[in-house]
Amino acid sequence: MLSHIPDCIELVDYIDDGEQARHYLFRLLNLAQSKNKNHPHHWQQVQPGQFFMLNVPSIGEAPFTFTEPPNERGEFKAFIRQMGQVTSTLFSMQPGAILGARGPFGRGWPLDKIVNHNTIIIAGGCGLAPLVTLIDKLTNNSPDKPTDALADKAKNKQQLTLVYGARNKAAQMLTPERARWQKQIKIFNTLDAIDEHPSSNINDNIRANTNANTNANTSDELCATTFQGSPLMILPTALSTFTRPPTTALLCGPELMMSSAATYLTEHGMASNAIFLAVERRMHCAVGLCGHCYIKHQYVCKSGPTFSWQALQQLKAH
Amino acid sequence: MKIYLLDDLQHLQAHLAQDYQFHQVVTNNNGQYHWQQLASDETQPLVHDKPQSSAKGFFFAEQESLLVFNGEYFQETLPTPKPFVLFGVQSCDLTAIHYQDKFFKDDRYYQARRQQCLLVGLDCINPCEHGFCPTVNAGPGVREEHADIVLHPLGHKWLVLEQTSKGAEALQALALIETHWHYLTQRDLALHQCEQKFPDDKYITDGIKKLNSGTITDDFWQTLAIQCLGCSGCTTLCPTCSCYGTRAIKKDNNEFSQQRFWDSCLYEGFQREASFNNPSAEAGTRVERFWQHKFADEFFTEFSRHGCVGCGRCEQTCPGVIGVHSVMKRITKEGGQENGPEVTHA
Repeated sequence: MLSHIPDCIELVDYIDDGEQARHYLFRLLNLAQSKNKNHPHHWQQVQPGQFFMLNVPSIGEAPFTFTEPPNERGEFKAFIRQMGQVTSTLFSMQPGAILGARGPFGRGWPLDKIVNHNTIIIAGGCGLAPLVTLIDKLTNNSPDKPTDALADKAKNKQQLTLVYGARNKAAQMLTPERARWQKQIKIFNTLDAIDEHPSSNINDNIRANTNANTNANTSDELCATTFQGSPLMILPTALSTFTRPPTTALLCGPELMMSSAATYLTEHGMASNAIFLAVERRMHCAVGLCGHCYIKHQYVCKSGPTFSWQALQQLKAH
Repeated sequence: MKIYLLDDLQHLQAHLAQDYQFHQVVTNNNGQYHWQQLASDETQPLVHDKPQSSAKGFFFAEQESLLVFNGEYFQETLPTPKPFVLFGVQSCDLTAIHYQDKFFKDDRYYQARRQQCLLVGLDCINPCEHGFCPTVNAGPGVREEHADIVLHPLGHKWLVLEQTSKGAEALQALALIETHWHYLTQRDLALHQCEQKFPDDKYITDGIKKLNSGTITDDFWQTLAIQCLGCSGCTTLCPTCSCYGTRAIKKDNNEFSQQRFWDSCLYEGFQREASFNNPSAEAGTRVERFWQHKFADEFFTEFSRHGCVGCGRCEQTCPGVIGVHSVMKRITKEGGQENGPEVTHA
């Protein structure tokens, strides 16, 4: 039987990051079962790309991704942008507040298609959030798992490149994450508008900065890898940085951006079943009942939120 | 299965009303038919006409509390209904209940009600207005396993079919005497004759085929959707529609109740996200979704049938005249052409 009843969580802390967006630290309460290492609590089996339903009791529920999965103490992080009623109420709450969480839900990123595969990651705005735990795993940045087996496997065997697009500098998010990944992976940041440098030109910046990010390690240096334009404009350059062409692509952001990028990648030889997208939909139940997150005959909460481009194309063809 | 012959239906009604909350379709002052709870000492003649609303609300409540939050923890608010009987459910609605039993098989709220219910089915021996249950394999006779007890009218008598152990238990104290199996042949004949009386609806089977051919254009749906007022009449009355929304309600004692309520995929805001991104902002997309949900072959895997049970309530209620008959006729005529150039409509 399905449960609609959330587990209680405590709002432990938050920090601002980007335009009306915050990193939230929550702690699951009453997690006695998780102390038994042989029988980890279901909250400790979160896969990158899965999500949970946050319950703000006075308003309702909405789905959010984990940016750090629950640890043995039940602490987990989520990156949340203030957008509707649920998040606006959350933003008015202070540490110590009691809320609810249900999950984890959905199918995460297909690790078997990612580990040991050269991978291009394209994200827009807060679409980077569902990729955080994955990139952390692959770059050995998982906080509680310094010797993560996945990272060991991936080490020196795969190349990761991230293209991250935002409207403008204020709309850039997940700055600490991008700063710590900068040491290990190539990152191309794009902005639709760079107001402070109106003369910036994507081609000039590409020439000047393509190789400039190798040793960058601060948020200031992130600026050095920032280009004016859309993720799609920088994509040919990003792809050219691979010594061997990427065999997997991960996309998350506005659907138009994802479909444009997926179309470009397939036109340039990537198989449509090697391109994966994380799809966002309104959800009320997350267990395949309320009907809100449909795409044709499937529900994003159960069949997604990650889909291969091939699967989405087949769905839309029906 | 055991079969009995019953002279007086009131005998059965009165008996069941002793052990169950008794619900039956009755006629109101306006001549409309609707489900109503009757007192244990009250019996009314069985109505053979289709009630305005199906029986889905008995299990999937139109509005219900899922949980309460008291400031410290969340508490489930499962319904605890007393045993109840739905007396005289027609085959289309029983097929819909069977469909929803599968859809809500893991939903504790639905199952809490469903398990308390005794279903007494009623064979239809005459077609109803707008109904086409034979075309979608949902009637006019009650399907096996869809009811605990089935009633079949035989002139002034009734054939009573005991279908499940739950039905057997309910009938036990009546000490009915089993009757001859030839009455089942008589039943089959009556149902066959009833099927013959339904008007020709080849456009429905043709429409289903075309809807699944992938040839219907977006323009067709968009044009059709001009007539959709987004009133939710069809989704409310459709016995298999199951979409719901949720909301928090503040209670007097400062507790919060989270409720779910019937929603409609035809509302403009059904898929609208907090960011105002709306994957189904176009009315045509929403109307297409509704009809796909009723007739797309993809749902066969899970439910072994289409979502439509042929009750025709959408046709009856739609103020924009885009119920099932109207839509299927237009799909057949205008919805695109298989293996050839797509036909565009005027």
